[in-house]
Amino acid sequence: MIKYWKYILIAIILLLGVLFPFYAGAYQQSIARTVLIYLVLAISWDMLLRSGQLSFGMAGLFGIGSYASVLLLLRLGASPMLSILGAGLVAFVVAALLGILVLRLRAMYFAITTLAIGEIFRIIIRNWSSFTGGPEGAILPNIIFDGDPVLSYWLVLGLALLAIVLSVIFQKTRIYFALTAIRNNEVVAKSSGINIFKYLVIVFAITSALQGMAGGVFAQTYGFVTPESSFSADYILLPIAMALLGGIYGTLGPIIGTVLLGVLAEYLKLYIPYGHLIVYGIIIICIIMFMPQGIVGVVRSKIIRREVG
Amino acid sequence: MSKLVVKSLTRRFGGLVAVDNLDFELGNGEIVGIIGPNGAGKTTLINLISGICMPTSGSILFDDKDITLTPAHIRSRMGIGRTFQLIHPLENLSLIENIMTGFLFSQGENKKKARLRAEDLCALMNLTDTGREISQLNILEMKKMEIAHALATGPSILFLDEVMAGLNSDETKEIIKIAKKIASSHNMAIGVVEHVMGVIKELTERVIVLDSGKLIAKGVYEEVSKDPKVITAYLGGAA
Repeated sequence: MIKYWKYILIAIILLLGVLFPFYAGAYQQSIARTVLIYLVLAISWDMLLRSGQLSFGMAGLFGIGSYASVLLLLRLGASPMLSILGAGLVAFVVAALLGILVLRLRAMYFAITTLAIGEIFRIIIRNWSSFTGGPEGAILPNIIFDGDPVLSYWLVLGLALLAIVLSVIFQKTRIYFALTAIRNNEVVAKSSGINIFKYLVIVFAITSALQGMAGGVFAQTYGFVTPESSFSADYILLPIAMALLGGIYGTLGPIIGTVLLGVLAEYLKLYIPYGHLIVYGIIIICIIMFMPQGIVGVVRSKIIRREVG
Repeated sequence: MSKLVVKSLTRRFGGLVAVDNLDFELGNGEIVGIIGPNGAGKTTLINLISGICMPTSGSILFDDKDITLTPAHIRSRMGIGRTFQLIHPLENLSLIENIMTGFLFSQGENKKKARLRAEDLCALMNLTDTGREISQLNILEMKKMEIAHALATGPSILFLDEVMAGLNSDETKEIIKIAKKIASSHNMAIGVVEHVMGVIKELTERVIVLDSGKLIAKGVYEEVSKDPKVITAYLGGAA
């Protein structure tokens, strides 16, 4: 019975999400697009975290994806949709190659390396002016769907749904067992026959492809890239804050956290344009100190306590 | 033919020689005790055979294949199973899910089949209420889960690293019963590391004795236990 209601609820939310452009204004739609982009970053960050690997590479892969899609279109004449897929592919390959090199590292060593990817690519892009447009960035002749807001929204929603579906697959299949085992104890995981390195490289590449595609979609809907905006630290700090707020190691937590914090973020930007990152920082600290399980974790432990007591 | 052959195996940790030029064989379906004082190198030997750490020199043959450099997860799939002295359950997985990992990854079963086989294994081990979280298990159940987890990888040789530690005599008897059942029903070779000598006497056909990484004695337990070298190793040089 509970399961039945769960599916009805999911269907209603999905319908509200798909029909959003028809009952919400232009401003709300633009907020929704931003929130959905962050949703992709937050979920994909969490998907890798389930294996115990902490990545700070979201901004780098987002930036790589943004530039890849713009340059594919400008230099190779790819269509906007194709260039978004291309952005995912480029991010996948970059992450897979890098993963093969650095996924023997763990914890902060891996985290710092992922932070470096973005910096390296940002510096290359900044200085290779003839190809990338240099510090001024590059502008697309046209934005995707000629700026049709409904289609653009659906494109972003489609990517967010892809991230959600992949995340659910990660939770429902043997991948869940592999990642959880790796996170809990690598020695036991190995002794269970799990090829740790293979799983980590594949998961890092898949989640990076999602981040790259998010960058591609963003660039195609806004029509420009710059080294500073495309590799912004917002794309690291915000998704982490969102996932932590909602609750890590699952699909629902990052969704709830992203919607709450994403909407809040837009209002904060309006009222304190240069200070909103400080507020996120404070939120992250508060969550870690008082609610490390996130919203989903707190609700779940309340339910379990009620069942037991 | 020996199932497992260890040839002049050595492992150094800095200046410490944990396993020192060790030769050791394990035959099909044989149960061998591995004993020795603390720090003798028993667990390191198991870590070397299961691939958790790599030897400094020497070689390991399994079914006549050289596996000295084979990664641990491949050895698990080949049929080398082990338990851990300090139990590290996968705490975010439930009891049944912990056991399922072996079936899923070592034996390549799908999720449904892995769950069914894990349930069967739990029934065999007398583990009930298999959906429980790890935090709800008592020490005996943890030990049983540890053995079941190793069995789920489908081993043809199995190393039990002090599974009796922390159990009372009734619980120990239950585990011995289970170990005997496994050994006879699967023709599995078993290496038993144990400090409880009663268990070694009861379970094993022969023993090897390690001290400071070296093999100092081997044979039937009754003889080995009277060997002056063994007594010295256990009681200290002054005895």
